[in-house]
Amino acid sequence: MHAGTSTTHDTHAAHDHIHPAPEGFVQKYIFSLDHKVIGMQYFIFGLLVMLIAGSFAELVRLQLTDPKGAIMSHNAYNEMFTMHGTAMVWIVLIPLVTGAIGNFVMPLQIGARDVAFPWLNMVSFWIVPVSGVVLFSSMLFGGPHAGWTEYPPISLADGTAGALWCAAIFIVGISSTMTGMNFMVTMIKMRAPGMTWTRMPLFSWATFATALMNMVATVALSAATGALFLEHVFNVPFFDATRGGSAVLFEHMFWFYSHPAVYIFIIPAFGVVSEVLPTFARKPIFGYKLIAFSSMAIALLSFTVWAHHMFPSGLAPWLQLPFMILTYAIGIPTGVKMFSWVATIWGGRIHFTTSMLYALGFLITFTFGGITGIFLASVPVDLHMHGTYFVIGHFHYVVAGGAVMGFLAAIPYWYPKATGRMMSERLGVLGFWLFFIGLNGTFLPMHWLGLEGMPRRYASYVEFAAANPDAVFWNRFETAFSFLMAASIGLLAFNVIWSLKHGKIAGMNPWGARTLEWTISSPPPYYNFKKLPEVTGYPYDFGQPMPYANTDNDIEPYPEYGKTVMPTATPAAVGA
Amino acid sequence: MATATLLRHDGHAEVAERYHDVDAVYGETRDIRLVGFVLILLSDCILFSSFIFAYVFLRLQAPAWPPFVNGHQLAWFDTNFAAVNSIVLFGSGVTMHFALENWKHLNKAKFNRWLIATIVLGLCFLGGQAHEWSTVGINWSDSTMGASFFTLTGLHGFHVFIGVCFLTILGLQANRGVYTGSKYFGLTAGTLYWHFVDVIWVGLFFLFYLW
Amino acid sequence: MAQRIVPRPNEVRFQGLGPGFWQVTAVLVLLCLANAWYFLYGNIDWLMPSASNPASDRAMDVDGLFKFMAVFGNGIMILVAGYVIYFSIAFRARVGDAPDTIGRQVHDSPKLEFWWTVLPVVLLVVLTGLSINVWYKIQFGVAAPGLTAEVIGHQFYFEYRYPGLKTSVFSKTEAMHLPIGVPVRILITSADVIHQWFVPEFRLKMAAVPGLVQNLNFTPLRAGQYSIECTEFCGPDHSLMQGKLIVEPVAAFNKWLETEKASAAAGGGALVLTGGTADAGKALFTTKCAACHNNPPTPFDQKLVGPGLLHITNDPAHPNLVDGKPPTPENIGGIIHDGFTGDIGTMPNAQANGLAGKDIANLVAYLVSLK
Repeated sequence: MHAGTSTTHDTHAAHDHIHPAPEGFVQKYIFSLDHKVIGMQYFIFGLLVMLIAGSFAELVRLQLTDPKGAIMSHNAYNEMFTMHGTAMVWIVLIPLVTGAIGNFVMPLQIGARDVAFPWLNMVSFWIVPVSGVVLFSSMLFGGPHAGWTEYPPISLADGTAGALWCAAIFIVGISSTMTGMNFMVTMIKMRAPGMTWTRMPLFSWATFATALMNMVATVALSAATGALFLEHVFNVPFFDATRGGSAVLFEHMFWFYSHPAVYIFIIPAFGVVSEVLPTFARKPIFGYKLIAFSSMAIALLSFTVWAHHMFPSGLAPWLQLPFMILTYAIGIPTGVKMFSWVATIWGGRIHFTTSMLYALGFLITFTFGGITGIFLASVPVDLHMHGTYFVIGHFHYVVAGGAVMGFLAAIPYWYPKATGRMMSERLGVLGFWLFFIGLNGTFLPMHWLGLEGMPRRYASYVEFAAANPDAVFWNRFETAFSFLMAASIGLLAFNVIWSLKHGKIAGMNPWGARTLEWTISSPPPYYNFKKLPEVTGYPYDFGQPMPYANTDNDIEPYPEYGKTVMPTATPAAVGA
Repeated sequence: MATATLLRHDGHAEVAERYHDVDAVYGETRDIRLVGFVLILLSDCILFSSFIFAYVFLRLQAPAWPPFVNGHQLAWFDTNFAAVNSIVLFGSGVTMHFALENWKHLNKAKFNRWLIATIVLGLCFLGGQAHEWSTVGINWSDSTMGASFFTLTGLHGFHVFIGVCFLTILGLQANRGVYTGSKYFGLTAGTLYWHFVDVIWVGLFFLFYLW
Repeated sequence: MAQRIVPRPNEVRFQGLGPGFWQVTAVLVLLCLANAWYFLYGNIDWLMPSASNPASDRAMDVDGLFKFMAVFGNGIMILVAGYVIYFSIAFRARVGDAPDTIGRQVHDSPKLEFWWTVLPVVLLVVLTGLSINVWYKIQFGVAAPGLTAEVIGHQFYFEYRYPGLKTSVFSKTEAMHLPIGVPVRILITSADVIHQWFVPEFRLKMAAVPGLVQNLNFTPLRAGQYSIECTEFCGPDHSLMQGKLIVEPVAAFNKWLETEKASAAAGGGALVLTGGTADAGKALFTTKCAACHNNPPTPFDQKLVGPGLLHITNDPAHPNLVDGKPPTPENIGGIIHDGFTGDIGTMPNAQANGLAGKDIANLVAYLVSLK
């Protein structure tokens, strides 16, 4: 129960008391209420499913080494790309970027002891494996075939598998919505004393914008998949044109969520980059306010652009215009951030750690993906490129080259905080180059294949190969390079496990960073902060003393890069 | 040596003042729960809005409304019965308001009476919906009119049912002493939820019976 | 907690904007100019098929847009990637650095932020204007196109329909034909699931959506044979749904159309009207007629491609069928059997629609049962 009831003393606020320690294996590791443990659970589960969904992608790539289809039937291929996309979007990416990194880092950064609703946080995690089981069980019934978008009417042919697909997405949506609400309340109500909004670290700002989108958009997906489920199981004619329904309606309902979803992937990655660049360039983030507010602008604008996925698909012509204009508009805050990040590394003193390499690589690959997005935003140009490999190239550059790179930068950055060990720098750098080269080799040629007209979701491409003799070479080229990416992720998994035992011991602040999580031990105690620290300034000023008072441990006024600092004194006794 | 300039947001002194008769600990907990609960209701709003969007879209692009099934045009809904049922539901919103007011004024007996009235009216509304569903003459799968009507009123009815269960549990808890005159967040949440269900019904009544 | 007082840390010093900044900038600008020159004057056929020899007027328009975007988009890419690489090298930490070395503690620069916000906005406004211009031409074309053809998507083939032609051209067996130099409007719908009709060399695609009719407007400019592809997943054989498009001079096109019309006139079989049931007809209507006639059937004026058939036997505003004959079962069956062509459009004959045996009887029984 609560400790202390005094109303006047600072240290006895609602979020100020410390719960008793969890006991027993189940409370500590299975149904833990600790946001740090929950974050790690999301991470482990997400990484496991990433390996599975990634293997499906490799099967897809192997199939395309032969224009007739090298290894499987059309039906099996369709199932593979559908499961790859579905699992990656909902069981891997969203849980990893919000559930894993957001959960672990955000409360530490804002100086809270946990999120607002820890029990809900725990339930939100466990919903994800349940949804994963439902999704993969659909493969026992033939599997869904119509792509991660599963448009009706064709998706109705998937029968039971299609209904299970709908159910799985609906279930995981509950997790996202609850987590979004949880994170928003945490950041609104539980920041440490003195942490005004403009002193909050940028990763937390990113988490806030993401939480807003999660909370508002996901229910629209629940409606879309719910309606599709009703049509599968009860023959309710939302999307059946022969009974007055509309296939285009599904596209509207689906994309109203799925466009914000892509920003849900990328904004946490933006947040990670905004933390990693200042730390390893040893200078402030350039344009803090612009970056913080542009994340919010992107979050709000993301709800207004969904129909750019539908330009050739049944949208009334006059409607195409506002969506085109708004899609261009959303490119502005994104571009501004990119320029700010480049200005951040200007004039720095750059240390090329694994995290920094991924962040720098991100600047290049995400810009490329963003530029091809501008091409796609124009309706006439989209009428050429939609449904071709150009789109696949575009979104893999922004998702794999953006969101995943951000995630890969976050892992070696915060792993020392979570585990007290550094990850292997050598394996990390090798992994980066494998991933970066592999990514570019796999997805760059897709752009010109797409412009030549190679359609997506084709299990075989005999006619296209006959008309475009270089198509076979480039497909094989892409497949070969895709294995570099696979190797990189495998190496990451190995590194994560290996470093638990063999990594160098990490101190409180191995990177010399300045946000609050680096003022507590690695790993932190279950309650994070014995005394809630007081924040007196903004975090990124490497030339100013650390802006915190009343911290648990003695902290260096000017933390130095690479010096692992152990607490010089035992934390002072707290008068509680 | 820089002096720490502390800018307090929602300072503890302010919280203590707002909740002058309880401790700041409870005050902040209540605030956190209230913000969370309101945000969840907001998400729920978007859920209804999505299905409402579907209904409006289907209706606007239909060649005729009510639509034709098997060559015959379906009939409009019976506004009169639904109007009566709506008054029952809105009445239950009023009774819930009085229930909460009485609790705040420490009148448990009146609270109980108004709460029971709310639950009874809620059940009457559900009964009315059951009657409406059985006499409306259309079915779920023949037309977009049925699809949208049963899905939306069903979703709403499900929310009312959950609300009735919620209020029943709150009543039992209140009588077991879980809530005091100053700590009654559960009752606040229940009242908010019940009003939310009313507001959604205003929208649905307009969309199906008046439009 | 006492704070140790230490001297201000080691902030890095350098001249101007960094060592070699202007030289690198000059190189990057030259690369941008080279990129611009390449896209504006070079041969980009390897990237955009037949860019140097456009197949249609819209292809020229789209390629123009693409080139504009490539000039500026690639330019931004060159600058961003170039500066990231250059800054990584110029501002790297050196081996001999003191441990407390930090970078230049700059927070922002309102002037820089202003320009790098405003210039992209200007660029995007220009791009919007250019795109709207092309968009309008595609969506609306000319007021009176020389040819209006219909494309109906099926699993897994396209069906092409031409004015006055009572049969259809099927992509499985024949190519679609279009004339050179004539403004064309394509109306697109689907008989089953969503498909997309795409001709890469025309730079155009549009979805075939059941229950909707969409359009595309363009003028073919160059004779030749082109590929048509389906680019919206439509089922197991989506990968096999392709077709050919032949663009030929107007005279050759007209000759081809006449040949098709001649082959439509012959053949058909006798018209049988007995033994049909309305239920079987209703199911047939959904698979065979719903692509062009509203389903559920609607009043006459609520057209999809063809008129609504709800009151076909009892519409006071339209007491006769479209061919002027009274709406008896024989006459209704006659239109289904022979097809029809007139001001209102063209309906394919029974053979084109794949109707055989008792199908017509069933359909007539269904239509007559509607009131």
